Amino acid sequence: MERVIDFLKYKWITIGLSTAAIILFSVTTYTRGGFTWGIDFIGGVKLTVQFAGTMNPSDIRRELESHNIKADVQQYGREEQNEFIISSKLLERGESSEKSAEILKEALGKTFAGIKILATETVGPAVGDFLRKSAVKLMLIAIVLMGVYLAFRFELKYSVGVMIAVVHDVIIAFLFCGYIGLEINVPIVAAILTIFGYSVNDTIVIFDRVRENLNIHAKSAFKQILNISITQTLSRTFITSITTFFCVLALYLIGEGTISDFALVMLVGLVAGIYSTIYIASPVVLLWHRARGNE
Amino acid sequence: MTRGMIYKAMFIVAILVFAVLLILPTVGERELSVVFEKDATAEQMADLEKHLTNIGLVVTKTENGITAGGYGINDAVMNEVKIIPGVGDVKIIPHWAERSLLAKKMNLGLDLQGGMNLVMRADFESIERRQEKELSDSEKMDITQQALELLRNRIDKFGVSEPSIRPRGSEAIEIQLPGVKDPLSVKKAIGTTGRVEYRLVDDEYTRLAGQWLGANIHRFKDGRIPESAEEQYPILAEAAKAIGLPAKDELLFFYERAENTKKILPSYPIALEKEVALAGNDISKAWVGHDEYGRLSVHFTTTPDGASKFAAVTATNNHGRKLAIIIDEKVRSAPQINVQITTGQALIQGDFTLDEVNTLARIIKEGALPVNLIVIEERTVGPSLGQDAIGAGIKAMVLAFAAVSIFMISYFKLAGLIASIGLLINIVCQLALLSWLGFTLTLPGIAGFILTLGMAVDANVLVYERMREEQRSGKSPRIAVANGFDKAFWAIVDSNVTTLLAAFVLSQFGTGPIKGFAVTLSIGLISSLFVILYITRYVYELILLSKNLKKLSV
Repeated sequence: MERVIDFLKYKWITIGLSTAAIILFSVTTYTRGGFTWGIDFIGGVKLTVQFAGTMNPSDIRRELESHNIKADVQQYGREEQNEFIISSKLLERGESSEKSAEILKEALGKTFAGIKILATETVGPAVGDFLRKSAVKLMLIAIVLMGVYLAFRFELKYSVGVMIAVVHDVIIAFLFCGYIGLEINVPIVAAILTIFGYSVNDTIVIFDRVRENLNIHAKSAFKQILNISITQTLSRTFITSITTFFCVLALYLIGEGTISDFALVMLVGLVAGIYSTIYIASPVVLLWHRARGNE
Repeated sequence: MTRGMIYKAMFIVAILVFAVLLILPTVGERELSVVFEKDATAEQMADLEKHLTNIGLVVTKTENGITAGGYGINDAVMNEVKIIPGVGDVKIIPHWAERSLLAKKMNLGLDLQGGMNLVMRADFESIERRQEKELSDSEKMDITQQALELLRNRIDKFGVSEPSIRPRGSEAIEIQLPGVKDPLSVKKAIGTTGRVEYRLVDDEYTRLAGQWLGANIHRFKDGRIPESAEEQYPILAEAAKAIGLPAKDELLFFYERAENTKKILPSYPIALEKEVALAGNDISKAWVGHDEYGRLSVHFTTTPDGASKFAAVTATNNHGRKLAIIIDEKVRSAPQINVQITTGQALIQGDFTLDEVNTLARIIKEGALPVNLIVIEERTVGPSLGQDAIGAGIKAMVLAFAAVSIFMISYFKLAGLIASIGLLINIVCQLALLSWLGFTLTLPGIAGFILTLGMAVDANVLVYERMREEQRSGKSPRIAVANGFDKAFWAIVDSNVTTLLAAFVLSQFGTGPIKGFAVTLSIGLISSLFVILYITRYVYELILLSKNLKKLSV
């Protein structure tokens, strides 16, 4: 038998580490005043702006970004009208839309001469309360269904291990957004859902090995079997992580704005996914196993 | 090579050819057909030709217009041409693959190609008229909110995916639809309430109202009943007063289809009881079928509550009377009641077109809007991200593919090369499936797609790692391949089934990007499962045919 790495020796340290990260992220998010929800979730202000000459929407968006304002810019009507819709969430917490409009106008006026604000309107969220609630509900249903499938295919303890690992990753990725003050819009939610899928994949591969090794190494201690399985699948874990990492990196380097944010959240989820498979899912299974009086 | 293997090879080739054909409508050459207006000048025609040549299309003249062929023809190009002076009608000619294979074109989302911006407002006046009181601001907000949630579902069901729908101010709804081909029909579909009602007809007053209209019709414009509800309302009010209509009744117009224009037009007034015998929300299921005359109709099953209402109204004491079917305040048919219906099963008859019954059945299922919506603003909007975003997406995809391939080949040698080719096939299959579904691609969608490239090789990695282990423990290549696939099989299936489960649940999410995301994810999983478990395995069967193979390159 090849060398087996004793991953589970550090289980309390790693569980502690995860807990510490969650607490740190939560506290920082809280002191920041909660999550920064984007226009998709809380609505915002919409300006119809006329520029003096022909403009490219990307240039307007980049200009606003240099003033730390995230906004959607769309050409409105025909090109020669030089009218654009600029939508952004309210720029200051609790401020009126007029105030946000002023800030936007000021930022634009610095670079572009002769702009005219044709209309200022408040817009509601594209993802309303109802949708938000049903998204959360469906996510819970998805986790439970997965849990049931895995309990059926494996054993309850593995299913619990997978679910806890998944929830761990989703929470870490989500809180990370709050930690660095990332604006949460629909693409970020999509990133978190991807993490969800990735994390499950990773964990199942290890548990599949455990299932197999239980027959091969019937006499070994359960902890040893877990360690053997993690070691055996380690190279696969790294290879898949590296290939996925390449893709995330490509997105981060080439994409701008929304997509780099998407890639960043994915990256965090990727790391959390690998970590949780080895250091969260497996310890949970082991502890559950021991709690039932086995060794 | 056995016969089975040859069949397999043929099957794989057929699938790949089919996949490539399905992508053609999205990426291949297409044609744009332009018809000039009758009074278009030669100068205008030359201008259009110049415009089309400038965007890289090959122009050929036809009898009364121009056909332009080339790459990159999309709805945005079509809409641009539409507004050039002298242009009458513009159409994108369906690609032959669209016609013969039911393939569709992949659409671009609002962020990538822009679309139509509609601002709608609920028709509060009609409610106020019906309820005979003014609505408070909070009531208006409630109505708008209710309409908004229903619209979200409805627009999705009409196949316009990835729309953006959000409230504007407290009373308006702003809708952006990406690259809509037929704005008129979409506007109609989202603007009508789809309220269905059954009400009893009062024959005596119907006759009187008919007489009144006959005597007064010359007073109306063109001697016809006006088509808009605003103009009809005073006429009906006047008629009701003139014939002394009792308070329990109400006059509406009966609509018939004009022979020549196929439009439905008001034909005569009909007196109805105000009390609704059966409403749309008493109906639990609705589907399209035919009535006993072979005409298109909507069949339905009522709720238990609705069944008893229906039984009451069709009871013996009403036999011989007429029961009118009112859709959106228009009486569309009024069949006579002959038997009592207690089963809660019946059908909506009338002179309907296929489009109308489809829409009606769908709307009944979705639930009627509380109110008609009026379009108060309509304009095109440009993409929020634009062409450079598509370019960046393609660049990122190429970069990601290259990085993954180089890594796989340097780590797994020949096996890595097979995985990379598999990945390429995987991309083709995914694009084919997305095209087939007429999927709407947004930037987050492209990002998700790129991400799955990295995750798709996971199944390869699982198999290859097993092969390596088997080979290390001294197994022959044949056994190593068989064991490699067999032992990795359940890990691959279990991990994909769980993710598919999650994707399926998320696809139930009524609307927008999350649903789109779930679709891409599922398609990615299914296509990578096919590639690894079928195509890659087949490639290894071919490799094993070689007699002097001592060791697998993995």
